[in-house]
Amino acid sequence: MKQFGKILKFELTYYIKNKIFVGVTVFLMLLIAALMFFPRIVNVFQSGDKTKEDTEASVMLIKAEDPGEKEMIEAFFQEAFADYRVQSSEESVDTIKEKIISGEAECAFIIEEMTSYTYYVKNLSMYDMNTEIADSVLQNVYRMDQMVAGGMTKEQAEKAVSVQIESNAVSLGKDQAQNYWYTYIMIFALYMVILLYGQMIATNVATEKSSRAMELLITSAKPVNMMFGKVIASCLAGLVQLIAVFGSAILFYSVNKEQWGDHPIVASIFDMPPELFGYMLVFFVLGFFIYAFLYGAIGSTASKLEDINTSVMPVTMLFIVAFMVVMFSLASGDVDNMLMKVCSYVPFTSSMAMFTRIAMSTVPWYGILVSIVILIGSVVGVGVLSAKIYRVGVLLYGTKPKIGSIIKEVWKA
Amino acid sequence: MVLELKKIEKSFGEKKVLKEVSFRAESGKAFGLLGRNGAGKTTSIRILMNVFPADSGEVLLDGKPIDYRQVGIGYLPEERGLYPKKIIVHQLAYFAELKGMGHKAAVAAADKWLERLGMTEYRNKRLDTLSKGNQQKIQLITALAHDPDIIILDEPFSGLDPVNAMLLKDVVREQIACNKIVLFSSHQMSYIEEFCDSIAILNSGKAVLCGELHEIKRSYVRDRLIVRTEYPDAVKKDFKESCVVLPNNSLLIRLASPEEKKKVMQKLVAGYDIDEVRVFEPSLNDIFVEYAGEAADKEDRR
Repeated sequence: MKQFGKILKFELTYYIKNKIFVGVTVFLMLLIAALMFFPRIVNVFQSGDKTKEDTEASVMLIKAEDPGEKEMIEAFFQEAFADYRVQSSEESVDTIKEKIISGEAECAFIIEEMTSYTYYVKNLSMYDMNTEIADSVLQNVYRMDQMVAGGMTKEQAEKAVSVQIESNAVSLGKDQAQNYWYTYIMIFALYMVILLYGQMIATNVATEKSSRAMELLITSAKPVNMMFGKVIASCLAGLVQLIAVFGSAILFYSVNKEQWGDHPIVASIFDMPPELFGYMLVFFVLGFFIYAFLYGAIGSTASKLEDINTSVMPVTMLFIVAFMVVMFSLASGDVDNMLMKVCSYVPFTSSMAMFTRIAMSTVPWYGILVSIVILIGSVVGVGVLSAKIYRVGVLLYGTKPKIGSIIKEVWKA
Repeated sequence: MVLELKKIEKSFGEKKVLKEVSFRAESGKAFGLLGRNGAGKTTSIRILMNVFPADSGEVLLDGKPIDYRQVGIGYLPEERGLYPKKIIVHQLAYFAELKGMGHKAAVAAADKWLERLGMTEYRNKRLDTLSKGNQQKIQLITALAHDPDIIILDEPFSGLDPVNAMLLKDVVREQIACNKIVLFSSHQMSYIEEFCDSIAILNSGKAVLCGELHEIKRSYVRDRLIVRTEYPDAVKKDFKESCVVLPNNSLLIRLASPEEKKKVMQKLVAGYDIDEVRVFEPSLNDIFVEYAGEAADKEDRR
């Protein structure tokens, strides 16, 4: 235990005194600060020329070929496209096209009849909703037209088509829209930290091996102490980094809270329930451990530093696949699909999968408990196993050992 | 203290690396573990240090199974290496601490040894800024700083200049005088001959020779004399075929039987101008070649 403490201290100072580690942490904190101060900075620049913005709204041209409903259509378009300056045009289609290409107008609707139109725009953006809005506008115009023809007054018809529905959505479980962003950020942070630190541990072990410091270490310290010392030290370093980054985010957000106003995404991120933060911590630490042990064990079997990248590939792939499954499920909104349910009990994926399900859906407490117990058991198992691989691996130089021979030696050890 | 390895066996995969290896080393004496490359020296040392267990056999200290929590072992590995990018005093203290020392005591011990080896000026430098010989001296400190009971030195003299070799010899003598078990492993026979009272020679995983060096030497039939003289021709003329000239210009006289030794010696001293006459004893080098050389290998295969 005493020896473990010494190794932990030594490895931890390796991170804390490492200029790159400190540099990256400070850089991330500055980046977060810049991000959080962004609206304040923008406000400073924008104060004064707010009025200018209105006059510069882009131009939308409308050419209705059926003159009968022209006025009504224009009025409705004005209302529906409040962001645009809607202008009616009598010019030819070619002239309108030229205007769009030259940038004089942004887009144009040529309405051939009440139920068909052509939309012209320079570059059709992926998020262009204009045709959908136009569809519903024209549908309303058509309906009104029909109602009036059927004997209603214009006012009655207008009231009928523009009726507003008042709705209230009450989620009895989780509000996915609200939880999406911080779940996303947490999973991504977990992914980044495990991948980065895993590589660091593998390189750290392989460096000791290639510099032959291992010859002395292995005769001075127990492999279990070495392995756990290294992994826990890097986990602490990772936590310090995460706390520094998230801490500065919370700090700078609270300074700039006024400026952000009710920005829905940002507000939802900082509105994370504390018990979820607790789960985050638990799954982060356990998920980190299980992969860090694997990376450490793999590092010990590499003879040269150059071999590390290819050796760690299988573990990295496993991890990326787990990440992908979680990310796709998260994006689709169906976090309780069969794959996710299975993944949330498999130790190598459960840290991300179970956390996502806790955050985005409702998981019974015993499900969470089972997942955590399996994960803790696996961490201990993988830790002891990796210490054994480490002891066998670090003394194998020269040709890269075959997996079979490693397993045989580990079995004997 | 007596350190004993008894019938140690070890295989890696299909390959049997150690076959019933036994030897013993006593405190206050240096012990030489010899063998060609791949003979099993490093594996024996690793088993002795509990890096991995033997398949069978025992490691005993004073007749009882060795308790690694109680016994300090210092090790200078043949493959030298520490942390190249770390401050010297930090890593020296770290290694001493891993061996169970407190932090302050470890730093004090590191400083003491840096001074003893004349390395104090490098205390706060990074290891990779030092020359190879100096790095080796730093490595030596990691084997000694925690004041171990058993010191294992694998090729300690390789890469040292004569002055540093001398310094190392002094240090080793001090450690032997402190009643420690010092175990050498080396290919440089002259150093082993100089320090070691007892030796073991490993060949292909077997301890082919083991015991006190002077007894081993005495065990050879004493039927040859070495004669050093200014006038070898006169001696050669009288002794004819039984006399050969050695490369260093001294003479080797083969006797009909060991009993003739006294008679022939008296005859030589009385009849010729002799500088030196002594019984031929094989050097450690000769013994090593005999037991671990190609010929021994062939015999082994038969």
